[in-house]
Amino acid sequence: MVSEQTSPRMAVSLGGIEMRNPVNTASGTFGNGEQFESFYDVGATLGAITCKGVSAEPWDGNPAPRLAELGGSAILNSVGLQNPGVHGFVERYGTYLESVKSRGCAVICQVAGHSVEEYVRAMDLFEELAPFAAGFEINISCPNIAAGGAAMGATPASAAEVMRAVRPHTTRPVVVKMAPHDVAEIGRALEAEGADALALINTIPGMAIDVRTRRSRVCRPTAGVSGPAIHAIAVRMVWECAKAVNIPLCGIGGVASGADAAEMILAGATAVSVGTANLYDPGCAARVVAELEQWVCDQGVTDVNELIGAFE
Amino acid sequence: MSGRDVGRATAGRVSAGALGDAGPVAAARVTKPHGGAVHTQVHPFEVRTNEPVAEGVWCMRCATPVAAELEPGQFVNLQVPGDGSHLLRVPLSFSLADGANELLELVYAVVGEGTERLSAMRPGDTSTLVGPCGNGWKMPSEANGRALLVAGGVGMPPVVACARMLAQNGVGFDAIVGAQTGSRHVEFLLDELRGMAPNEGCDCARKVVVCTDDGTLGVRGFTTAAMADLIADHPYEIIYTCGPQPMMAGVARLAAQRGVACQASLERMMGCGFGACSCCNVELTAGGYALCCKDGPVFDAREVVW
Repeated sequence: MVSEQTSPRMAVSLGGIEMRNPVNTASGTFGNGEQFESFYDVGATLGAITCKGVSAEPWDGNPAPRLAELGGSAILNSVGLQNPGVHGFVERYGTYLESVKSRGCAVICQVAGHSVEEYVRAMDLFEELAPFAAGFEINISCPNIAAGGAAMGATPASAAEVMRAVRPHTTRPVVVKMAPHDVAEIGRALEAEGADALALINTIPGMAIDVRTRRSRVCRPTAGVSGPAIHAIAVRMVWECAKAVNIPLCGIGGVASGADAAEMILAGATAVSVGTANLYDPGCAARVVAELEQWVCDQGVTDVNELIGAFE
Repeated sequence: MSGRDVGRATAGRVSAGALGDAGPVAAARVTKPHGGAVHTQVHPFEVRTNEPVAEGVWCMRCATPVAAELEPGQFVNLQVPGDGSHLLRVPLSFSLADGANELLELVYAVVGEGTERLSAMRPGDTSTLVGPCGNGWKMPSEANGRALLVAGGVGMPPVVACARMLAQNGVGFDAIVGAQTGSRHVEFLLDELRGMAPNEGCDCARKVVVCTDDGTLGVRGFTTAAMADLIADHPYEIIYTCGPQPMMAGVARLAAQRGVACQASLERMMGCGFGACSCCNVELTAGGYALCCKDGPVFDAREVVW
């Protein structure tokens, strides 16, 4: 708790998504929020939540096993964006997400697709069915079926193509969730196509092989590495991207404390998402809110915005 | 190999997941306001005893207020102290939740890095656990029904909890327990099983059949062979099972052939234990996946692809 002084201003704007504080949740690590209500009042506490990725039609996701514990403060996952499609998502979670919004927490819906057309179709459905969404996050790490499974946003050109296609289909803010490579170049391409903000980084591609069976420890040869182990890499990429673009960033990667979040903000992030830590420390994001506010006080400033990019 | 299979290493882990994106099974079970296990919280626990009861098998008794809320077949997800290099909690089912004394009994096999650290906890050590997680066993729908329990090895703890639930409700049951060669750890829980209140009524004295693959304990052979013999002679209303996947698959198949209802407690590697990450998927016969942690860990065996 903050003491002996007025509470600092913690509100930020992530490209037009108004957040009461900079703390958000990383898609795929937070369900759609409701599972965490028994740990703390999500809607009354967080700046935003980012829902699980949703496609126009339901996706089954990958077969088991989807998860491996790596040691070294990291886990490996390959869930494959299991989701009920936009209609199913709104039907199942719409009422709950309205309640999150009504408590002052921004709801960000994540949009997934296997082709440019699928992103556009999902966006159209969200526009029509999801009035509770303060904005959208485009997950450009989905495999592109037409390109043999390479990520939709693997290159500046392909990332820009997705953004260019989606942009006319919503007037609400659009954040793009970036893969952990070429973030300056791809960030500039996305900004040029009208992205309102960028979120980075997604999981880092990795492998874990069971040497006894010679098989992958998860259902695919490669999967996503996350956890505190990737934090320093994520901070570096946020810093590089922040220098390259003029739109706000949401820093993601191994954030498990207020200090981790503060690093992201100093490196140039306007908002910060808690991801993997939600799984093993379900109260983490709420704690980060409190610790971040204390840090702002300790820095002797009255507004968290003064500290964005204040790395010296 | 340490760290491999930290989840699977644990004894008969039960699960709880998020109904999140699960299929029809999940949807049918959403009864709480926000579609989640709203009472799932972080609770403290303090180790009272933690000792080996057989080769590689330990029994921990710990004090925790969540014991009063747990239902048989649910599970808890323990934060085991360590150097922080392993992130995930260790999900464990329990053989006994004594609400009056706020005491939990966990019998677990040390098979991975997580359970290795768990076995190093000493009386007085404290940490946290998340729970209650998941959905437990359901009682038979017929008041006079008789149940058959089929447990295999480390799947025994939740089956013992199930037996206790049945005994307390006056439901008669028989039990089959399978173990590997030389596995003496089942004897530990067998004593608990045999010590429960007898079946009511003189016509249904309880049978507890023990099978090992070499006959070192009980009869020689698989649990499913013993099960085929028992169900040929008795009109069971329901079968409850937990154990290795191949054993449960055999139990589920036999139950389906005989038209007997069957509940199975499944085990999966888990991320969160409360449905946030969708990592512990269970393939459904109706298509798509449910989540072991939230939609299970106890499933209707007919709904699961074995």
